[in-house]
Amino acid sequence: MSVGQTESKPAHQHLRRNPPIAGEAEAIAAAQAGDEKAFEMLYALHKRRVYSLCLRMLGNVAAAEDLTQDAFLQLYRKIGTFRGDSAFSTWLHRLSVNVVLMHLRKKGLPQISLEEALEPAQEDGPRKDLGARDLRLSGSIDRVTLERAIENLPPGYRLVFVLHDVEGYEHNEIADMLSCSIGNSKSQLHKARMKLRDLLRTGQRKETAV
Amino acid sequence: MTGTRLEKPPMTNCADFQERLPELFETNANLSADEHLKSCENCTALVRDLEYIAQQAKLLLPIHDPSPGVWENIRSAIHSDSSQNNVNPSSAPPTASAPPTGR
Repeated sequence: MSVGQTESKPAHQHLRRNPPIAGEAEAIAAAQAGDEKAFEMLYALHKRRVYSLCLRMLGNVAAAEDLTQDAFLQLYRKIGTFRGDSAFSTWLHRLSVNVVLMHLRKKGLPQISLEEALEPAQEDGPRKDLGARDLRLSGSIDRVTLERAIENLPPGYRLVFVLHDVEGYEHNEIADMLSCSIGNSKSQLHKARMKLRDLLRTGQRKETAV
Repeated sequence: MTGTRLEKPPMTNCADFQERLPELFETNANLSADEHLKSCENCTALVRDLEYIAQQAKLLLPIHDPSPGVWENIRSAIHSDSSQNNVNPSSAPPTASAPPTGR
């Protein structure tokens, strides 16, 4: 399998990300009518996914909680506009991504401008592996190790990697969200994967040395 | 360089290959047929690792929960909204501000 095969997502992957949830449709209708208990149920059903998304995009617990709160407040205010054209979880997910990106733009962080200004410093970037002695990642990588490595990515790399490889967005969608070119999104993704490999290998070397 | 099977591999081949790699991935090229990979253990390991990282990333499911205080804050804000504006979600106009659909 090639890394690029994320371009066409199989149906099972879509279902894995957006499985049907019993009682959700009724809760949405009730919440649209102003039922707070129904809204609380929607929160309970989706808080984990929204918070995990925020946390992975931001790499910071306090900010992720703040933006989870913002995302659900926006949901409360906008739920009346949900028409069911897409799965509710997909709609909420995109709303949450927009909340995070809006927050980053407001803070004026450079990672949203993905063009030249976003490029991490040369020393942070992936290096060519010419001459590497330990050729490949040894063994399997556990989830916690990978999560930690993602947290340690430079913010611009992390955004694109999380949106594409973890959340399954296409490059054209990411380019649209981040106001950058598709080519830039692809380039950032490749650099992010290279940097991750670097971080993971460094971690393995440290473990070996202990 | 210890990673190649050739005694003196042409280094430019590795650099050239790695330069082309993002595009090769994006076009789903059959990398196993690539001439350079047949002779370069280093780049083969690189490709394998990058594929592995992408595969593992897809398996990262949402596992983190926000603290209970998050819901308390949301509920307070909703009540505050309601008392100030006497607005409930059903009265929100259907605007174009909804998130794009179609994923």
